[in-house]
Amino acid sequence: MINVLKKYLAFSWVLLSFLGSCGGESIDPEEDIYAFEKPAHFPEPTYTFENNPVTREGFELGRRLFFDPILSRDKSVSCNNCHQQSRAFADMPLHPVSIGIDNQAGFRNAPMLANLAFMKAFFWDGGVSHLDFVPINAIESEVEMDESLANVVSKLNQDERYPELFKEAFGVDKITSPYLLHALSQFTLLMVSANSKYDQYILGQGTLSGEELEGMQLFDQKCATCHSGELFTDFSYRNNGLSSTFTDLGRGAITEDEADYGKFRVPSLRNAEITAPYMHNARFSTLEQVMDHYDQGMVSSPTLDPVFKENDQVKGISLTEAEKAKLISFIKTLTDRDLISDPKFQNND
Amino acid sequence: MKIFNLMAMISLTTLLWSCGGDEVNPDEFGTFQVYFENKVGAEGITLRVPGSTDYDYETSDGGPFNLSSLGYYVSKVTLEGPNGEYFQDEMSVTADESKGYYLLKESNSASRNILLEKVPAGTYDRITFTIGVAEEGMKEGAAGGVLDPAAGAWFWNWNAGYIGLMMEGTAEHSGQTYVDHGNGVEVLEKTFGFHVGGWKDVTDNENFINNTKTVTLEFGTTVTVNPERSPLAHLITDVLKILDGAQVDFSTTYSIHSPKGGKVLADQLSNTFSVHHVHQSTSSHD
Repeated sequence: MINVLKKYLAFSWVLLSFLGSCGGESIDPEEDIYAFEKPAHFPEPTYTFENNPVTREGFELGRRLFFDPILSRDKSVSCNNCHQQSRAFADMPLHPVSIGIDNQAGFRNAPMLANLAFMKAFFWDGGVSHLDFVPINAIESEVEMDESLANVVSKLNQDERYPELFKEAFGVDKITSPYLLHALSQFTLLMVSANSKYDQYILGQGTLSGEELEGMQLFDQKCATCHSGELFTDFSYRNNGLSSTFTDLGRGAITEDEADYGKFRVPSLRNAEITAPYMHNARFSTLEQVMDHYDQGMVSSPTLDPVFKENDQVKGISLTEAEKAKLISFIKTLTDRDLISDPKFQNND
Repeated sequence: MKIFNLMAMISLTTLLWSCGGDEVNPDEFGTFQVYFENKVGAEGITLRVPGSTDYDYETSDGGPFNLSSLGYYVSKVTLEGPNGEYFQDEMSVTADESKGYYLLKESNSASRNILLEKVPAGTYDRITFTIGVAEEGMKEGAAGGVLDPAAGAWFWNWNAGYIGLMMEGTAEHSGQTYVDHGNGVEVLEKTFGFHVGGWKDVTDNENFINNTKTVTLEFGTTVTVNPERSPLAHLITDVLKILDGAQVDFSTTYSIHSPKGGKVLADQLSNTFSVHHVHQSTSSHD
């Protein structure tokens, strides 16, 4: 897959050079922004780019669809409703759980969409294993868009503009769901968040303050067991002691195994500063509350992660007030201002 | 691997040819039809509307039932012969089409006729196929053709994957009560719905149930493929073997919609299929 991706990138480069040479100038920066680039310090992407290479036309079609409530039954809800650029494409704090069609409340907090190209599974329970299939859940959920995928395809085919846009992007005469899903993937795949203050520090292009560096050290000791690597998640599913009984089975609903009840995906902490509230059920509205939870708020249950236990008792992560402040300082270095201000993600139609 | 098989086959067929046995030209190909006939024991199938009290069949435990919907995905079809002949149906998942995946429905007899093309000339005595859509059908992402969820594919959103086998109907002793899901979606009293899916095989997590099953059937004889001869294998899918093998009691088992729930049914698939007969004719078969 990587080879194919490389070939594609190489091909794009040759094409861009060619276009550039025609104009007597170097690479057109307008075209370059639609190429997917793996940040140097990131792991290899998991997405199948060889099946769906990102192009300007595909990306722009995906963007149009992302902002278009045509995806919902009564044309009232778009992807953007719960995934806002100013929040790294998480929901706004006003909506602790997703608000869908007829103002119905969903069950979980909408996560940010950054760095989806690198994820191994999607949603808080990891029930979906490929990015392309992710939008189907939102479209067909009775409390989100409450529309059938088949009917969305039918509406798009009857639309004045979409048939032409799909033809431009994919060369198809008729819109089908795989192309709809590919377009949406192209738009979200470019939401790469890798230019925070932390990234600049790691890449030797910037510095961190003394407090931030101390916070990073503490983070490595106390948090990086689960929030590991450059994506700040080990992609595991864990119960972090939010509840002693579970109204939402989380991972357990996917594996149908009691041992997984109440476990949820360890989320990336990138952009945590701007993606409140926190946890699958939006329990905490501030990072301070999150620190307090790990320090002394965790409750016991049969599936509580062993990392939080000692001699079968809830141990949590003991933190002083000063340590909490340092950790929060470090977490705030993970905020990527480029992602939330990049004009290519703004509604352009 | 494929190339190796092809090479091995070419050299083998060349060898056979030069020895003056059955004359097989390695450049020759033909077609092969596989026809799946669904049955309940010895009975042919008549689909009834959901809720119908015309109970056409009975489980061995004495549970009267009928069927309103029946179907399954067949994929990864291979043919093998006594002289090392090997054919693997092309498998490819793209946004345009899903090659090598077939959705066989009782309601559509044409869908139950699989035409294998570009089968190397030779003799064949064995067929292997998979029921369901395994990992290679999922990992490529959005798919067209019979795997397109907006074009009739049997797809689960929440635990994304395809339903490999679907069996729905009404049973006299079903414990199902009436349920109104709104928007005109309702579940009628005494119906049953068995949706068997689950494809994940995660080595470090045994919780996942993989319900895709591979079945191999011997023809009991050989059939010849060449440009003039396009044989047909007529297979029987006896769904009573699934219900009886799983000892389904409709009073307690009437709604299966998850990998774990479907395991007991998927485990019967090794006994569900049999070869009715094979023959050399080229006409379609129904």
